[in-house]
Amino acid sequence: MTTKINIGPIHPSTHGVLRLVVELDGDTIVGVEPHIGFLHRGVEKLAENRMYMQNIGYMEKIDYVAPMAYDDAYVAAVEEAMGVEVKERAKYIRTILLELQRIASHLLWLGTMSNDLGQFYTLFMWTFRDRDKILRLLQEHAGARMFYLNMRPGGVVRDLPPDFEENTLQVLDYIEKRITEYEHYLESNQVFIERTKGIGVLSREMAIELGATGPVLRGSGVNYDTRSNKPYYAYSELGFRPQVMFVGDSFARYKVRMLEMKESIRIIREAFKKIPEGDAVGMPIRLIMPQAKNRIVTVSRETPRGEAFIYMIADKERPYRLSIRTPSFINLSLIDEIAKGSRLADLFAILGSLDLVMADVDL
Amino acid sequence: MKIERGKLIETLKELKGKGYKYLVKIAGVDNISSISVLYFVRDIDNNKEEVVEVELDPNDTALPSVEEVYKAADWYERTLYEMFGIEIKGRQIRRLLLEKWNGKGAPLRKNFEWGAPYETKQSKKAMA
Amino acid sequence: MAQEEISAKEFEDAEQEMTALVEKSLQKYNLKPNMLFAKLSDITASAAKGIVNWSRKNSVWPSLFGLACCAMELMDFGSARIDAERRGYLLFRATPRQSDVMIVAGWVTKSMVPEIKRMYEQMLKPRYVVAYGECAVSGGPWFESYNIIKGIDQVLPVDVYVAGCPPKPENLFSALMKLQKKIGGSIED
Repeated sequence: MTTKINIGPIHPSTHGVLRLVVELDGDTIVGVEPHIGFLHRGVEKLAENRMYMQNIGYMEKIDYVAPMAYDDAYVAAVEEAMGVEVKERAKYIRTILLELQRIASHLLWLGTMSNDLGQFYTLFMWTFRDRDKILRLLQEHAGARMFYLNMRPGGVVRDLPPDFEENTLQVLDYIEKRITEYEHYLESNQVFIERTKGIGVLSREMAIELGATGPVLRGSGVNYDTRSNKPYYAYSELGFRPQVMFVGDSFARYKVRMLEMKESIRIIREAFKKIPEGDAVGMPIRLIMPQAKNRIVTVSRETPRGEAFIYMIADKERPYRLSIRTPSFINLSLIDEIAKGSRLADLFAILGSLDLVMADVDL
Repeated sequence: MKIERGKLIETLKELKGKGYKYLVKIAGVDNISSISVLYFVRDIDNNKEEVVEVELDPNDTALPSVEEVYKAADWYERTLYEMFGIEIKGRQIRRLLLEKWNGKGAPLRKNFEWGAPYETKQSKKAMA
Repeated sequence: MAQEEISAKEFEDAEQEMTALVEKSLQKYNLKPNMLFAKLSDITASAAKGIVNWSRKNSVWPSLFGLACCAMELMDFGSARIDAERRGYLLFRATPRQSDVMIVAGWVTKSMVPEIKRMYEQMLKPRYVVAYGECAVSGGPWFESYNIIKGIDQVLPVDVYVAGCPPKPENLFSALMKLQKKIGGSIED
């Protein structure tokens, strides 16, 4: 006899609005069924009625932990539709800003995941203080803490301020020390190791079959990263290496993200050494009206959660159809396969290692 | 490549045999005289992508379910059903994103009445 | 939880009954205006009320209802740089039964309306609601969507509105200070 319990849309973990109907046999999970749609606002329908540069405001609110990633994906789609090339210096600037955004997003993930595992707000407070330093750096360039709107077709909205390089290198030194400290604390803690090793195993074949993306896919042994398989901006010149672990449990997914943070720090330092001089400012807004040079456009970008895939049919002033595949949508559908056979107390540890953002799921 | 809906499952099985094991997205587009459904598949080891397109008549939308070939197609087909009104045969389909919504019509079609002040040329043409 | 609507006529009837009852009781106890007695009872009542309101306004415990992007700024509000605990807004809980203020941060869809009503009814009186961010104030950028409520004051009674997309945490600070002023000088519900 199995019982069904309801973990309702409002619950103390910080994941957002998600309803899980869990079927239990004693203490073991037999099946999990997520009900979503509590944050669905119809971005794909709204985007058909707005002009191209009005749509950027919608795209940033899809993933509110790392908004610049979707900003960049959409502007890249518009550039391809218009046939505009990105300037050289702007490629390096975009790489630097995107990697800073990735470090900030992974720091927030670390705080909320250790919150769920029982560390009541300690690591949360520390990682939020570090994330705040990065947000202040980005505020000097773009003018806002959270919704930047700083990408234009062909470049960025304005060049970097003159003391950006020194400030960034200081912040990176500080963050590197802090990340090694956090790793040391967590990995020498017996409770953390017992709650993540061997829990929530996803095998390599099932990861490819069910369509996982991002660190979930790389934690199961598949060497696929959009930044190295389909390179864009300055990643191939800076020598980017994807990080892969082979076991497939929650500890492997955690380790992949920590290694990615260190790789991002290395890439930003390299980019500051190799950045060329020149002009980086993109087109002003009043000139953006693609005459549909290419009518059908596809773009793939690597957000901190996985691969975002945009398929756009471009009309004269507005997009005719904008179809987005978000990584959290397909990562949430894996929960049924991963959580079978584990206990009820492990369910939130597994959800924490998948790194979901609910507005990303309910597109 | 454009195919007919009768040959959909065979083509996808053939592609999966050649190494295209990863399904990226199933997207629907509403051209007003027809509806097209696009299947994006990818070969992870060799870095290649392929698009399969099926065109349907708006009054006769019935597609076979692709879940036996690619297991990732489950949630994509559920959103196709509720956003475009396409019927999927072969298994039980429930709504995903709009569970308790009791409005009329499918939201992503061009003749959906949503009271917005903006009307585009396509929506005027579709509602005429 | 369905609420029954009271028609205007029933309301008038109830009002007339109440005034008749009050007059009858006054006649029964034969109260004459006694100035000294009235002043004494007034002073003690207002002093007691003053102390109670002072203690209530300096420890306002919020219950987070962070749904979307504004929840990121709420988490920043409670963290180390802009510290919320120094003014008394301690203990952000997810349960409404132990909190005074409900801060609604994020857009509310039609599927979420019964849940938000149930959360509000589970809070104990006196209770307050803060609408944080443009989406809670008026629908925000999703004004024309088919699945969104245009502002939470169509569903709940709101005390303080905070504008911005997203509002900086310092903005929320000043809004909560205004709420404290309202609590301190208000009559109990």
